[in-house]
Amino acid sequence: MTKSADTHCPYCALQCAMTLKSPAATAATGLTPADQPGSSPVPAAPALEVSGRDFPTNRGGLCRKGWTSASLLQHPGRVTEPMFKGPDGVFRPISWDEALGRVTTAVKDARAKYGADSVGVFGGGGLTNEKAYQLGKFARLALGTSRIDYNGRFCMSSAAAAGMRAFGLDRGLPFPLEALDTASTILMLGSNVAETMPPFVQHLQGVRDAGGFIVVDPRRSATAAFTSDGGGIHLQPLPGTDLTLLLGISHVVIHEGLLDAEYIQARTTGFDAVVRSVNAYWPERVQSITGVPAELIRETARRLASGARRGGSYILTGRGVEQHVDGTDTATAAINLSLLLGLPGSTRSGYGTLTGQGNGQGGREHGQKADQLPGYRKITDPAARAHMAKVWNVPESLIPGPGLPAVQLLKSLGQPDGVRCLFVHASNIAVASPDANAVIRGLRSLDFLVVCDFFMSETAAEADLVLPVLQWAEEEGTLTNLEGRVLRRRQAIQPPAGARSELWIMARLAEALEAPSTYSDDPETVFEELRLASAGGAADYSGIDYAMLDSGAAAYWPYPAGSTGTPRMFLEAFAHADGKAVMTPVAPRRRRTPVANPDPAAKPMTLITGRLLEHYQSGAQTRRVAELLASRPEARVQIHPAAAAAMGITDGAGVSVANERGEVVCRAELSTAIRPETVFLPFHFPELESANRLTEAATDPISGMPEFKFNKVWVRLAAATPITSVLQTSEAS
Amino acid sequence: MSEQIVIVGFGPVAARLVDELLPALRAGQVGLTVIGQETEAAYNRVLVADLGVGRTTPEALALADAAALVADGVDVRLGVKVRRVDRARQSVILSDGTSAHYDRLVFATGSRPVIPNLTGLNPDPAAPVLPPGVTALRDLRDAEVLRRAVAGRKRVVVLGGGVLGLETALAAAEEGATVTVVHNGPHPLGRNIDRGGGAVLAASLRSCGVRVAGNARSTGVEHNGPDGGFSALLLDDGSAIDGDLLVLSCGVRPRIELAEGCGLSTGAGILVDHRLRAHHEPHIFAIGDCAEVRCPDPACTECRTARGPSGLVGPGWRQAEWLAEYLVLLSEGSVEDADSLPPLPQEKPGVIVLKARGMNMAVAGDNSAEPWDEEVLTAGAVNGRPRLQIAQWADPEHGRYVKMTTRGGVLEGLVSVGMPRTAGELVQLFERGAELPADRSLLLRLDGPDQLASAGASNDPESTVCRCAGVSGGKIADAAAGGCSTVAEVSAATRAGTGCGGCHEDIRGLIEKHFQGAAA
Repeated sequence: MTKSADTHCPYCALQCAMTLKSPAATAATGLTPADQPGSSPVPAAPALEVSGRDFPTNRGGLCRKGWTSASLLQHPGRVTEPMFKGPDGVFRPISWDEALGRVTTAVKDARAKYGADSVGVFGGGGLTNEKAYQLGKFARLALGTSRIDYNGRFCMSSAAAAGMRAFGLDRGLPFPLEALDTASTILMLGSNVAETMPPFVQHLQGVRDAGGFIVVDPRRSATAAFTSDGGGIHLQPLPGTDLTLLLGISHVVIHEGLLDAEYIQARTTGFDAVVRSVNAYWPERVQSITGVPAELIRETARRLASGARRGGSYILTGRGVEQHVDGTDTATAAINLSLLLGLPGSTRSGYGTLTGQGNGQGGREHGQKADQLPGYRKITDPAARAHMAKVWNVPESLIPGPGLPAVQLLKSLGQPDGVRCLFVHASNIAVASPDANAVIRGLRSLDFLVVCDFFMSETAAEADLVLPVLQWAEEEGTLTNLEGRVLRRRQAIQPPAGARSELWIMARLAEALEAPSTYSDDPETVFEELRLASAGGAADYSGIDYAMLDSGAAAYWPYPAGSTGTPRMFLEAFAHADGKAVMTPVAPRRRRTPVANPDPAAKPMTLITGRLLEHYQSGAQTRRVAELLASRPEARVQIHPAAAAAMGITDGAGVSVANERGEVVCRAELSTAIRPETVFLPFHFPELESANRLTEAATDPISGMPEFKFNKVWVRLAAATPITSVLQTSEAS
Repeated sequence: MSEQIVIVGFGPVAARLVDELLPALRAGQVGLTVIGQETEAAYNRVLVADLGVGRTTPEALALADAAALVADGVDVRLGVKVRRVDRARQSVILSDGTSAHYDRLVFATGSRPVIPNLTGLNPDPAAPVLPPGVTALRDLRDAEVLRRAVAGRKRVVVLGGGVLGLETALAAAEEGATVTVVHNGPHPLGRNIDRGGGAVLAASLRSCGVRVAGNARSTGVEHNGPDGGFSALLLDDGSAIDGDLLVLSCGVRPRIELAEGCGLSTGAGILVDHRLRAHHEPHIFAIGDCAEVRCPDPACTECRTARGPSGLVGPGWRQAEWLAEYLVLLSEGSVEDADSLPPLPQEKPGVIVLKARGMNMAVAGDNSAEPWDEEVLTAGAVNGRPRLQIAQWADPEHGRYVKMTTRGGVLEGLVSVGMPRTAGELVQLFERGAELPADRSLLLRLDGPDQLASAGASNDPESTVCRCAGVSGGKIADAAAGGCSTVAEVSAATRAGTGCGGCHEDIRGLIEKHFQGAAA
């Protein structure tokens, strides 16, 4: 069966609307496919033709990743049968019965030997709501373990913790994306939407025309470049000083009387303490710490205030400011600034965080976090536990307590009291985790590793057993986009015969493990259960069903049964008991002293990491798309020509970037877009080009977020070893 | 029993120390008493001039909340002075007759303004009583005096060309007062700035509406104003500068009488070692403006180059943070254990960044050497140490001046006037001790217009026009040649313009170019 389906892109949280058509259906429309078949030898023809679909978020637009997404469906490297690694280290296909039997045995063995918490689950922000929900239930009831967390800990946890603390609730954007169209001022910190979600940029045209687009980024990124020609201001602080910069802007707001006193009085608590805490950060002092001129700090404050009185002002944060050991406090500083100006919960202004992964929003609401139960409930809350016990029809005592956040979970792999048997879903932790070398060592020390993936990712390659699962065009389900809007994913094509839905896998394993409660392999049935589970929780989906979504309704949570959902949140009250938003004073913490440089030939610099337009996350998918790989076949370290010149590094030369955790060797890309003391690496590449070999597994004390965006490295011209391009080693060649 | 810590003084530095000690206090590990002479808890003195010109409010200046501290268990005593310290009994005796026992005593008594020796001014440094119309602009009441003058658009005379004087002058002028700065020497800021920078600075001040009277030596004040108030500042050349308010901005002096009175060693400030301990007195510490870090060891190389108290708040805050950690360690156990904490690193010479809206200036370090001054530049270059190097840019017509004094590529001094982004960059390079790019002109271009050409301007057919879909100009031209005559058609054929839509204009341009070419 092949049909046409209205669905959404498999990649990021913008979830661009797209239509998938079979080639036969395409021919009837008379459209010419963009690339003539035959231009690339394999696969002969795309399984489906992708086209953009008009929708409020992407307005028909797609980026290269979306356009080429269908080429992965019939990719020759696809895993289509369960693959078991023998004693010789070679993967061989086995039957599903045998595969499930081996998993069952491994789980039972680990439980018998080391206890239930020796079995761990690592989930992902790419799973549908149904899978994320059932995975949490499966871990806690079928495996009986508390050890479940997911890769969203590496993305959204800091902003989520800050949002919870301030508003009592975390929805990435508490307003529809279209609200940005008419804004007068937007302050965007640590986000490069021009590369990460290009169709988003359409919503910035209005603010650029108004000259009010302010970007905070140590690089002159493609997004920061939008501030030129009168579009706005680019603030280029030293890496690791975003928090100080935000305190400086708040200082100006307070001292120049730009604040919204009535709003602060009526809708917030904690103002006086915040006044005292920002008092010490006057613009000139902040300039000395951040390198951002005092006058631009003032200008930013004034534009935010004047924008709020005109078309609206928005403050948006991204991973650049959140992926730090003080990420929660930095997001809190951004929220405090927005509260001083009266932005959140108003009709035309706001604060938001830009969720990254496809279902990064829904994925953090339904119970794959170590400390949460479905509906964004705290696992330590007795009422929440009682509610879930009722929905699941199990005694409350059967639900384990809080587990370990991702970095701690990964550190425990193979340790005496740690995880010995690990399930990995929708995540490529061997590339995407901080201190990736240590994670790979951990994976190799496990008794049993089972990875659900459709490709032999770097993590799958470490597994004992790889279970082939479905791609987006082969399944039904829901995802929640960066606005908190619930979207339908629809099936357009039959999956390969040997691949199975993770819902099916969990249901079969639960049966084999004689688990309490029920596990369906039907997405709609699971969603119906999710509705009940989320009812009364913070992220309440109880009023949403498939029929409503299929009718095209715009369903923003919270959506309690009988309501019409919540496109714009907090208009009446914030989600704390007294209805007020909480301002929490924050201050920069002193930084640890880096390890001394052992290599006198190398220069100490600061490493920041991020994304390229052509690739997504660990690159497990996009590196297998020939067109994308051809465009960006390898990691290149971005370095300022002045810094490069001092080390004899020319454009394209091999560069070693190292620290006490590992080394990356790749080619240099000389660019004046980066500060001279900083280098940038994309994190999409494996092995010798894996940026996360250098990132530190130190974490934020509140959110558990690792330090991805501020790492000390030693940079030098690499020895004359030839650099092997990923292009030559990957299966795409 | 918990260790009793008494802090004398409740200014910004003391407030930071209190903040840092709160966790230990809440844990019951230490007890804390703070004694402040003013009736207000700590406020941000750096912003008193802003308050004086009506740019901020007293509430916004608060650095501490006495009521909240009391609720936390801090013994806060405001509006009282410490009469004396009884070191034998480890006790402080207060002006209200009460006393407080201490295990550790911290002096954070700050500094007081220098009152110049002028006829008509009471020069008693211990109890300055200034006549009406004269203020030293130190506390909230002084700010109120200035605020009235500025609001009344009066004539303000600022005596002193230091950074605080200039900030006051600029702010008052911008808010509508008529302001004259009177300073000695050829340019303001004295030895903190070099001749070129000083000249551009003075010109910039004038263009901001501030009268600058240089090379002036004042001798007295005249009181012919209403109620016997200030009416003019008298100079040694016999001239007078008329005004309604005289703001004295002649520097500060550490407040050390109390420490002297109890027999502690003092220099310019209370002498403390690298652990901020008073000499030969393990129970007493000093931080901030009143402290002078100079250890008793005459052979200490660090102290040989040490300067007196900087008068800047940054070093005081760093001392407060460090001392809090040390005091907590002391309260936990032995001095030996506490001494495992590495001592506070030596302060870099202070950075001065002018707080002003209309103009931008930053100076730091030693800027006395000139580019052609071979003798000075090579003087310190011994034992393989590189010589000083100077890079300089002067554009007085546009009020711009930059000088970078480096050794081995690292800044030892900097001057930046009228170039905000350059100043921001240089200051943080100086603070981090980071190496400058070999091409120093890079740092001069930061304030120029954006260099980046907009996308699509290139005629190279290989250059990308649509970044979202990765389509080159050549491909779009090919599509136009193939019959596509609208953006929508080009998009359908090439995917160009199907992401963010930012390249639609460029696509339109390429289509037009094709058809114009065809017509020609």
